[in-house]
Amino acid sequence: MAQLQAKQDALSARISGLDLCREGWTASLRADALTRLSAMGLPGKRDEYWRYTDPSSLTAVEAAPAAPFIAADEKMVFSGIDRLRIVFVDGVFDADVSDDLEMAGLEISRLADAADQHWARDVYGVLETQGQTPVQRPLAALNTAFATDGILIRATGQAKMPISLIYLHKSDTSDVILHHCIKVESGAELTILENGPAAARFNSVMEVDVADDGRFHHIRTQGRDHDRRAATHLFGRLGQESSFKSFTLTANGRMTRNEAVIEFTGDDAIAHVAGAAIGDGAFHHDDTVFVTHGAERCESSQVFKKVLKNGAVGVFQGKILVKSNAQKTDGYQISQALLLDGDSQFLAKPELEIYADDVQCSHGSTSGAIDEGALFYLRSRGVPEREAQSLLVLAFLAEALAEIEDEVLAEDVRIGMENWLARHGGA
Amino acid sequence: MLEINNLHVELEEEDKAILKGVNLSIKAGSVHAIMGPNGSGKSTLAYVLSGKGGYEVTEGSAKLEGVELLDMEPEERAAAGLFLAFQYPVEIPGVGNMTFLRTAVNAQRKARGEEELSAGDFLKVVREKGKALQIGSEMMKRPVNVGFSGGEKKRNEILQMAMLEPKMCILDETDSGLDVDAMKLVSEGVNALRDAGRSFLVITHYQRLLDHIKPDFVHIMANGRIIKTGGPELALEVEQNGYADILTEVA
Amino acid sequence: MTAMPKVETEVREGVDRETVETVEAMAGKYKHGWETEIEMDFAPKGLNEDIVRLISAKNEEPQWMLDWRLAAFARWKEMEEPDWAMLEYPKIDYQDIYYYASPKSMQDKPKSLDDVDPKLLATYKKLGIPLQEQMILAGVEGAGEVPAEGRKVAVDAVFDSVSLGTTFQAELMKAGVIFCSISEAIRTHPELVQKYIGSVVPQSDNFFATLNSAVFSDGSFVYIPPGTRCPMELSTYFRINAENTGQFERTLIVCDKGAYVSYLEGCTAPKRDTNQLHAAVVEIVIMEDAEVKYSTVQNWYPGDEDGVGGIYNFVTKRADCRGDRAKVMWTQVETGSAITWKYPSCILRGDDSQGEFYSIAIANNAQQADTGTKMIHLGKRTKSRIVSKGISAGRAQNTYRGLVSMHPKAKDSRNYTQCDSLLIGDKCGAHTVPYIEVKNNSSRVEHEATTSKVDDDQLFYCRSRGMDEEEAVALVVNGFCKEVLQSLPMEFAMEAQALVAISLEGSVG
Repeated sequence: MAQLQAKQDALSARISGLDLCREGWTASLRADALTRLSAMGLPGKRDEYWRYTDPSSLTAVEAAPAAPFIAADEKMVFSGIDRLRIVFVDGVFDADVSDDLEMAGLEISRLADAADQHWARDVYGVLETQGQTPVQRPLAALNTAFATDGILIRATGQAKMPISLIYLHKSDTSDVILHHCIKVESGAELTILENGPAAARFNSVMEVDVADDGRFHHIRTQGRDHDRRAATHLFGRLGQESSFKSFTLTANGRMTRNEAVIEFTGDDAIAHVAGAAIGDGAFHHDDTVFVTHGAERCESSQVFKKVLKNGAVGVFQGKILVKSNAQKTDGYQISQALLLDGDSQFLAKPELEIYADDVQCSHGSTSGAIDEGALFYLRSRGVPEREAQSLLVLAFLAEALAEIEDEVLAEDVRIGMENWLARHGGA
Repeated sequence: MLEINNLHVELEEEDKAILKGVNLSIKAGSVHAIMGPNGSGKSTLAYVLSGKGGYEVTEGSAKLEGVELLDMEPEERAAAGLFLAFQYPVEIPGVGNMTFLRTAVNAQRKARGEEELSAGDFLKVVREKGKALQIGSEMMKRPVNVGFSGGEKKRNEILQMAMLEPKMCILDETDSGLDVDAMKLVSEGVNALRDAGRSFLVITHYQRLLDHIKPDFVHIMANGRIIKTGGPELALEVEQNGYADILTEVA
Repeated sequence: MTAMPKVETEVREGVDRETVETVEAMAGKYKHGWETEIEMDFAPKGLNEDIVRLISAKNEEPQWMLDWRLAAFARWKEMEEPDWAMLEYPKIDYQDIYYYASPKSMQDKPKSLDDVDPKLLATYKKLGIPLQEQMILAGVEGAGEVPAEGRKVAVDAVFDSVSLGTTFQAELMKAGVIFCSISEAIRTHPELVQKYIGSVVPQSDNFFATLNSAVFSDGSFVYIPPGTRCPMELSTYFRINAENTGQFERTLIVCDKGAYVSYLEGCTAPKRDTNQLHAAVVEIVIMEDAEVKYSTVQNWYPGDEDGVGGIYNFVTKRADCRGDRAKVMWTQVETGSAITWKYPSCILRGDDSQGEFYSIAIANNAQQADTGTKMIHLGKRTKSRIVSKGISAGRAQNTYRGLVSMHPKAKDSRNYTQCDSLLIGDKCGAHTVPYIEVKNNSSRVEHEATTSKVDDDQLFYCRSRGMDEEEAVALVVNGFCKEVLQSLPMEFAMEAQALVAISLEGSVG
């Protein structure tokens, strides 16, 4: 009880300076979110779900300052890709540097100025609410209540190019809450790219509702700034025969907690969630994934790889929950860490919770140093040690990277990884 | 080509002497074979020459064309022209065979101050050299040695040798795990590489490989030393009588 | 341990004809559910300081032991029952339990087993436990290591709150081995007990261990002196008989430098429609170059098909590999109990020490099991291996919960975990909750887990050869468990294999 009180007190302090928007179609949805949030309070260190990650920097009243990182001559990822750019500077939509929010087969609007009777009513805060059981996610409810901006995208057909959300970080103290809603209608297909350092502190929620036969692709890179902190939630709800594929590359950042909460509501759907994290020094990276199978013959996969050095910490909490009606489920989960030196840590809790018998579920988790045998083999063929290490690191990350279907995008992300490795003295 | 002088080697972890004064001189263009019972130090010699960790050289030297090998990193030895065909080629999941080979070839070219091969040129050369060893594009796409059969692994080693064009080739029990056809294929690959500027050190248990790769000299190794040296007839003698006679004769 | 059918060949193959024969031989439901009618001496129901004092007084304990218990009790009053396990059961009323129950005839402390009430001896005979100092017949043994005259197993028989007696004590003494009830050890070897008790599972380790520390009434004590290979297997057989009685045994095993012992533990209880609490503690201290094998066949009454009755089993077991190259192996076959909460753990403190955990956990009907292990790697080059096989049937819930922890100083250590679950029927659940904490990079940790149902093709194949469905399931499940069954001592392997089949009765069709 005392513990809950402390969490609620922390919440009061955290939101005392925030404005709850009381106008427009989101007003009641935000008020509901605040009610949910008030019952939970903010996450605390002693919560089982925060066993390996200290939430205090994510829940503190003030965001700790973080200087933007300037990569001298390095291009940002996706810059050579044909895409519709939507740019947020320190969390504020910037129309001047964004493309027109128009594309055939898509309806795009800003959260801040979406019309009253909006389709996003059925999405905004709805997936987040469902994602609150059986595990509470207070930072997501906080986001629903207090988001200042975001983008709402409805796909009714095949989008001809990806939508690219670009987050620029300019101010050392920016503390940003963004909320996006995506609806992929029956038979439609959409690719969302996200990249950029975002802000000193970044709280984002993306709710993705994929209707029957819809296809959704998500490729995200988070990186560069050494000191930024981020808590992100990706909620997915999948209709029959739909597909959902998400990949995240995280390089740098003092604190990152990426939660993905996926629920199958229709039969024969596919969801793949993957991530590669590369961290050097003060780097704490947490992938927390919760996949709920509530329909038959669905396939889910979680592939997470982490390369850690100089005291970096990698966390993986993954869960496959198979409800009793979800027969013929195929669930797969792998989490692996490559520890490049003795100071780094890998902490994992890969869970299965299964109530249906006709299923194939498996998970694996490994942790270890670079394979000395492979390293020597490469060197004996004349490859210098640093290059050999980089090659092995990239090979280690390859299984996660392979989750990106589009080869051009995958190559772009791979180059991003190589640049990071080069910047950080090889592996 | 290769001058090994009074080489003493211990295991780093156990203080156990493995090589106890190996002397060996290999001239350019010649083929030497080393035979010997298990545990005599043959594979250790191959690993120490190529720079594998875990061994401590307590005495002696090994020079490749007059340059001390033992001071070099493994990749420097490779760039200097030394090549070891592994007894157990290492599997590297996630790294394509083609990527591996191109990285190695270009790394060595760079180290020697040569220009890197373009992707197109490289592909042409690999195709051509792979053909003779019956290594097709399918095998090149697979991860290095992963899921390869014993024969495929060894053919892959020889392909690497052909691509890297080393001066001094060490073959560590390349015949182990090969059937007759695979042995023929591998031997032909090796023989095709024989020329006046290239030397070979062939480590084997069996005479049969030496039927295919004809040695100029045969050495018998036991208990960390080379105890007898002769011509090809020495291998035949071992094949017929085993090591026991030679061991007692020397003792 | 039970009467075993004589078979000629070894039970080394997981799936073989003998399994079927054994299954047939053991037909019938829970077979240890009868009760011994005997006059009992109960302490008043409920728990308070006076009860703690009374238990201590009954055992004629020295003051330090009583003080230790009272400190534990004071701590326990401040603690909350843990709720993190995937177990659901009504709140336990700790004041509605008898904390001490002893057969009246045991009040005079019989000098030897010959003086024990024949009714009690008959109980163990009926359970198939040899309380005479007899050889285990060579005919039921497996491999050729058995001497022609047979093999001896020493037994400590614990009935409700007291130990009835221990066999082969004199012969063991000759080898310097101390094997007796812990109450006797507190009287006869206080220096050993005082030195080691609570040194592996501290007095206030967790809610149930702390409760045990306050009220444990009996259990076994083993000391193997330096360089001694214990001349026979040691075993303790626990029987809960009296109604509404909790059993709180405490076992302490100390294996000194270079010594070896294999220890077996068996448990049964009568059928009753009320739940009974069992909260035990096992502590094992293993010195340099010593090795302990600890095998359990836990067959407490699981409750009926509707989940009425059964034992609530909350057990804390831990081994501390204190010396370099110390080794421990836990093997458990958990088929009984309504609720199982149990995590036999290994503290790998000495360099090059090794821990192994092999487990079969079967939950059928309304049973719930939350069990696994902890491997705490502290020393260099320590190794651990976990093989867990969970089987769920009926409406049961079965959870593997484990921790593998590699501390920064545990350089070059290894862990391998294989954790498989099998589901029989669509009303049960199988869950896996591993925690993996790696804090150095020279160690390698590998964890694999799978969940699937009994393979239809295998079942069909068995049935096409004439087995009925239940037999076929038992056969396939025994195959699934093979790796763990093989790690049990021969006598236990036979019993365990039979139990697997019995536990799954009614799970199909």
